[in-house]
Amino acid sequence: MTDRRAIFVGGAAAAAAAATLLTPKEASARSLEDVLRGGELRVGVNPTLPPRALFNDRNVIDGFEPEVAAAIAQKLGVRLVLQAVGSPERIPMVASGRIDFVMGAMSRTSERAKVIDYTVPVHSENYGIVSVAGRGLTTIEALNKPEVTLAQVRGTTAIPYIQRAIPNAQVLLLDNYPDRNRAIAQGRAQASFDGIDAVRFALRPFRQVQWEVTAVPSFGVTYSGLGVAKNNDSLRLWLNIALYELHTDGTIERLWEKWFDGPMFTKVPASPFF
Amino acid sequence: MNYSLIYSQVTPHIPYLLGGAVLTLQLAVISFIAGWAIGLVNASVLHFGPRPARAAVQAYVTFFINTPLLVQIFFIFFVLPDAGILLSPYAAVAIGMSLNAGAYLTEIQRAGFQSLRREEIDAATAMGFSVPQMVWYVILPHIAKALYPPLSNQFIIQVMTTSIASIFAVEELTGRAYNVNSLTFRSLEVFSITALIYVVLTLACSLALALIGRWLFRVKARIL
Repeated sequence: MTDRRAIFVGGAAAAAAAATLLTPKEASARSLEDVLRGGELRVGVNPTLPPRALFNDRNVIDGFEPEVAAAIAQKLGVRLVLQAVGSPERIPMVASGRIDFVMGAMSRTSERAKVIDYTVPVHSENYGIVSVAGRGLTTIEALNKPEVTLAQVRGTTAIPYIQRAIPNAQVLLLDNYPDRNRAIAQGRAQASFDGIDAVRFALRPFRQVQWEVTAVPSFGVTYSGLGVAKNNDSLRLWLNIALYELHTDGTIERLWEKWFDGPMFTKVPASPFF
Repeated sequence: MNYSLIYSQVTPHIPYLLGGAVLTLQLAVISFIAGWAIGLVNASVLHFGPRPARAAVQAYVTFFINTPLLVQIFFIFFVLPDAGILLSPYAAVAIGMSLNAGAYLTEIQRAGFQSLRREEIDAATAMGFSVPQMVWYVILPHIAKALYPPLSNQFIIQVMTTSIASIFAVEELTGRAYNVNSLTFRSLEVFSITALIYVVLTLACSLALALIGRWLFRVKARIL
C-alpha cells in the first residue's frame, strides 16, 4: 500500500471510529430523583420567541415560559437554571439529556414524539396568516401561488404543512421570528403562515407597517407540552401532576394573559386523567 | 435508555444534501473569483495608486478583516433594504462573501507585489507599460507561482465559510442539513453525513487545485 493510500484508508478508519465513539452509549437524562438530589432543574427556553421567553431590560431571560418553569421549580423545591435553546437544537438538547425538559413552543407532533416524550399540554397554539394589509392574503388559496413568497422559520411545525397544502408558494427559510417579520416588512416575502398567539408582541417594532393577522381555524389547534427525554417517566409523570395544579389554580392562564396581552385563543381543558 | 443510530430516516435525503453541496461549491467559486479580482485591483492600488486611493483600500481591508462575516452579510441582507436596495438571499451572501474574501486576498496579493524586484518594474515602465499592463503581463506571471498555495488555502476556507449562508435563507449544504434535521430530528446521523460530504468536497477541491497547480505553475503540492 502506498503512503497516500495508507493515509486515505487511515483517515476513513479514524472518521468511522470517531462516529462510533461520539454515539452516546447511555443517555444522560436525569430522573426525578436525580433532579431532587442535584437541587436544580435545567429547563430549555427559546429567548427568540417573545413573549414566551425573552431577554428583559436587565438582560435576564424572562417571559411566560420562564415564569411557568419557575412555578414548577418552586413546587419541586429546587433551583431553576434556564438554558437558552434555538428551534433547530431544542429537541436534540433534551434528547441528549443536557436539559431536564424543554419549553420553547413545543407543539406536540407525532414526528417529535418519536424522539422525545411530552407532558400534558401547557397552552394551545393557534395558526393563521401574517401579511401586510391590503394584499388580500387572508386565505390558504390566496397564498398558494408562485408569486407569493412565505417567510418561515426553519424547523417549525408549519413547514411540513406548507409543503403539503401550499405547494405553489415560494418559501424563504430564516432562523428566527424577528428575521421572518423583517423579511415581510421589507418586501422580501409577502406573508407567513405560522402561529399567531404571540404575533402582536413580535410585530411591535414595525410600527410603519399596517399588519393583517388572520386566524385559520380550519388548520386546527395544536397543544404545547413540556418536552422530556424519551422514557424519563419519573420526571414526566411528576410534571403532569404539577401542570394539573398550575392549570386548576389559574396560574398558567394568569401568566398567559400577563405576557400575551389577552386570554388563550383556545383554553386548555385540565383533566385529572393523564 | 440507549441512543440508536438510525440512518434509514436520513439516507433518502442524501440527494437533497448533495444538491446543497453543489450550491456550496458554486458560492465558494463565485466569491473566490470575485474576491481574487477585488484583491488584485486593491493590491495594484496599494502598490501604484495615489495616497487617497491607498487610504480607501486600507480602510476597506481594515473594516472587512476586523468585523465578522456574519455581521457583514446581515448588513447587506437586512439593512440595505431599508435604504431601498433589496438583494436576493443568494446575491446578498455572494456579495458579502466576495467583499470579505477580497479583503483577505488583498493582503495575500499585496505580499506578492512586495516580493517583486524593483528592476522588473523599472524595465516595464521604461518599455511604456501602463499599470494594468504591467500587472497583467509582468507582475501576475511572476507572483502566480509564489501565491498559488496561499490562494488555494483561501479557496478551501471559502468552501467552509459558505455554511454561514444558511442563516440567510440560502439552501446550501449546511442549510439543507438543518432542514433535514428539523424533519427527522436525527441530528447525529444528519450531521455525520453532512460532515462526510464536506470532507469529500474539500478533498476533491484540494486534489483539483494541486493538479492545476502542477499543470500551470509546476507547484509541487501534495496530492492526498
